[in-house]
Amino acid sequence: MDAQIEIQLIAAVVAIACAIPGVFLVLRKMALISDAISHSILPGIVIGFFITEDLNSPLLILLAAVTGVITVMMVESIQKTGLVKEDTAIGLVFPALFSIGVILIAKNANDVHLDVDAVLLGELAFAPFDRLIIAGTDVGPKSLWVMGAILSITVGMLFAFFKELKVSTFDAGLSAALGFSPVVLHYGLMTISSVTVVGAFEAVGAVLVVALMIAPAATAYLLTSDLKKMLVLSVIFGVFSAIGGYWMAHFLDASIAGSMTTVLGLVFLTVYLFAPSKGLIAVMYRQRQQRTEVSLLTFLLHLNNHEEESERHVQHLNEHINWQKVRSETVLELAEKNNLIKISSDIVALTPKGKEFTDLALEYIITNKDEHIEHMKDDFFLFRG
Amino acid sequence: MELSEYFSQLFSDYTLRTITLGTAILGAICGMLGSFAVLRKQSLLGDAISHAALPGIAIAFLITGTKDTNILLLGALVSGLIGTFWIRGMVTKTHLKSDTALGLVLSLFFGFGMLLLTFIQKQPNANQAGLDKYLFGQAATLVEKDVTLMAVVTGICLVIMLLFWKEFKILLFDADYTKTLGFNTRFIDILITFFIVLAIVLGLQTVGVVLMSAMLLAPAAAARQWTNKLSVMIVLAAIFGAFSGVFGTAISASQNNLSTGPVIVLVASVFVLFSFIFSPGRGILFKQLRKYQNRRDLELQKTLQFMFDIAKTHEDISHPHAILILNNFQGYAKSTLKELEEKEWVKVKGQNWSLTSKGYDAAANLYNNN
Repeated sequence: MDAQIEIQLIAAVVAIACAIPGVFLVLRKMALISDAISHSILPGIVIGFFITEDLNSPLLILLAAVTGVITVMMVESIQKTGLVKEDTAIGLVFPALFSIGVILIAKNANDVHLDVDAVLLGELAFAPFDRLIIAGTDVGPKSLWVMGAILSITVGMLFAFFKELKVSTFDAGLSAALGFSPVVLHYGLMTISSVTVVGAFEAVGAVLVVALMIAPAATAYLLTSDLKKMLVLSVIFGVFSAIGGYWMAHFLDASIAGSMTTVLGLVFLTVYLFAPSKGLIAVMYRQRQQRTEVSLLTFLLHLNNHEEESERHVQHLNEHINWQKVRSETVLELAEKNNLIKISSDIVALTPKGKEFTDLALEYIITNKDEHIEHMKDDFFLFRG
Repeated sequence: MELSEYFSQLFSDYTLRTITLGTAILGAICGMLGSFAVLRKQSLLGDAISHAALPGIAIAFLITGTKDTNILLLGALVSGLIGTFWIRGMVTKTHLKSDTALGLVLSLFFGFGMLLLTFIQKQPNANQAGLDKYLFGQAATLVEKDVTLMAVVTGICLVIMLLFWKEFKILLFDADYTKTLGFNTRFIDILITFFIVLAIVLGLQTVGVVLMSAMLLAPAAAARQWTNKLSVMIVLAAIFGAFSGVFGTAISASQNNLSTGPVIVLVASVFVLFSFIFSPGRGILFKQLRKYQNRRDLELQKTLQFMFDIAKTHEDISHPHAILILNNFQGYAKSTLKELEEKEWVKVKGQNWSLTSKGYDAAANLYNNN
C-alpha cells in the first residue's frame, strides 16, 4: 500500500475511534475529562516504555489506560471531599501527573527515545515506517492495527450497550432504576476513552486527541438532537477533517495533526455560524425577532392603556416606552403592516383587530398562560404582512 | 549543586537571582488572580487560555519576524482574549456546555498554533528557534527585562484590584445583586477575565502552555482551605504561589535534567495536598477527628441517658448497679465509662457503677441544654 493512503487510513480510523466516545463525553458534560486523561496518561506511558522499550506494546497501552482510569478516580475522590469544585479537581490532578511524566522523561532522557514533543504532538507521517511483521510478511503499519483493534472494540461495545449508554447518558437515575449500573457504564466509558486516547496519542498527540474527541461531537450537536444522527455526523466530520487535514498539511508542508485540527476548527466554525436552528446567525436572528415581538406587544399594551392623545403621539413614543429610534420605527411599521394600528395625523390608535389582539394578550398574561401568546402570532398572521 | 549551595549563591549569582525572583513573582500573581478563577468556577479557563495563546505567539512572530518577548506575549494576550470571548459566546448563544466550549477552544487553537509553528519552522530565513520554549516553558531563559515586566504587571494588577476591591468581591459572591445595585457587571467581569488571561500569558515563558493552569489553580485551591475570607485567601494564595516558585526553582537547580516548570507544579501540588489534609477548618484530618469526637460524645450521652433511666426509678439515685447491664447497651465502652468518671458524673466501685448527683443533673438536662 502507498504510504500516503496508509497515513490517511490511519488518520480516518483514529478520527472515528475518537468521535464515538467523544459524543458521549460531550453529552455527559465531561468533555474536559478527555483533556485530563490525554495529559495524565503520560507517566503511565513513560513507565510502560521503561519496562518494554516499545511504544506499541500492549502492556504500555494497558498501563496508560489504567493511569487514565486512575485519573478519573482521583478527580472524583477529590470532588467527593467537597473541598474544591469539580473543575478545580480536574485542573489539579492532570498537571501534577503530567509533571511527573515530564520529569521521568527528562531524568532518563539519555537512555530512551521518547521525547515530550512527540507525546504532545505526535507524528502521523512516521506511522507507516513502523510495520507489523507476522511470520516474515509485512501486514501493514502497526498503528493501523492498534487503532483498528481499538475501533472495533469501541464499535462492538457501542452496539452491545447502545440502549444502556443512551439511558444512562440522559437520565442516570432512570438507568439505575432500570438496573443498569451508571457506575459500571461510567467507568466503561472512561476505560474506552482512556484506551482510545492512548492509542491515538502516538499518531496525533495528546492535545489533538482532545480536538478529535470533542470537535466532531460538538459540531454534530449543533445540527441534531438525535443521538444516532449525532454519532453518524461526528464520524463523518471526523473522517472529513482527517483526510482534508492530511491534504492541507501536504500542500503547506506542515504538521498533519495541526492541519487536521485546523480543518476540524474550520468545520466547527462554519457550523457554529450557519447551523439552521442552533447556529450563531440563526440564534441572533431569532433573538432579534423575539425582541421585536416583545416590543410590539409592549407597544400595543401601552396604546391600550392610554386614551390621552399626548401619550399616543408618534414623536413621544421614544420617551414613553424608552426605545431607541430605530426599534420604535421597526415596531411601528410592523404594527401598521399587520393592521393592528392606524396612524392619523401622527396620533396612533388601535384598530379593532389590534384591540382584539391586545385584549387576548392581556387575558393570557393575567391568567398566567404565557404560552398562548405564541399561538397568537399565528392566529393574527403576525410577521406575514 | 546542593540545595544549601543554591541558597548561599542566591544573592550573589545573577542568573539564579533573576530566575528565582521571576518564578516567585509569577507564583504570586498567579496565586492572586487564580483565587478569582477558582471562586468564579472558571478553574479550567486557565488551561484553555494558555493553549489558546499559542497561535497568537506564532502569528505575532510571522507578522513582525522578531522574537522580542513583549511582542510575542502581546500576540498571546490577543489570541487568549479571543479564545475567552469565543468560549463565552458559545456558552451564551448555543446549547454547548462550558466544558465543551473550553475543550474546543483549547484543542482547536492549540492545533492551529502547532500548524503555524511547523509552518514557521519550514521557512528558510526565519530565526525561529526558541519559539517552542513556550510549549513547556524555560525558566532559564528569563532575563532581568522579563522579571521587570512581570513586576510592573503585578503592581498594576495589585493597584487595580485594590481600587475595585469592593466591586470584585461583590461580583464574586452575588453577581445578580451586583447588577441590581447598579454596578457595571460587564465591565468588572471583563476586567477580572482580562487579568486572568494576562497572568496566564506572563507565565507561558516560565512554565509553558501545558502546566500554566496548575500555577493558576493550585495556590488558590490550597489557600481556600485555610480561610473563608477573600482578602486572606488572596494573600495566602500569593504566598503559596511565590513559595512554589522559589522552592521549585531551587529543587530543579539543584539537580541535572530537571525542568523548572514541572517541579514548580509539583511543589504547588504538595501545598494543595498538605492543605487538603491538615487545614484546621476544612481539612480531611480534622474533619475526621471531629467526626470521631462527635461520635464519642454521642456515645457518652447515650450511655448517660441509659444510666439516668435506670437511676431515676430508684429512690437513691446513687444506688450502685452492675457494669454488666451496660453491655446490653451498644453505646457502652470502657473508655466511655472512664470519661464519665473523669467528669465526676459516675462513680465506679469494683464491678458496680453509680450515678453522682452531678451526673444526675447533667443527664436530666441533657436534651434541654444542647
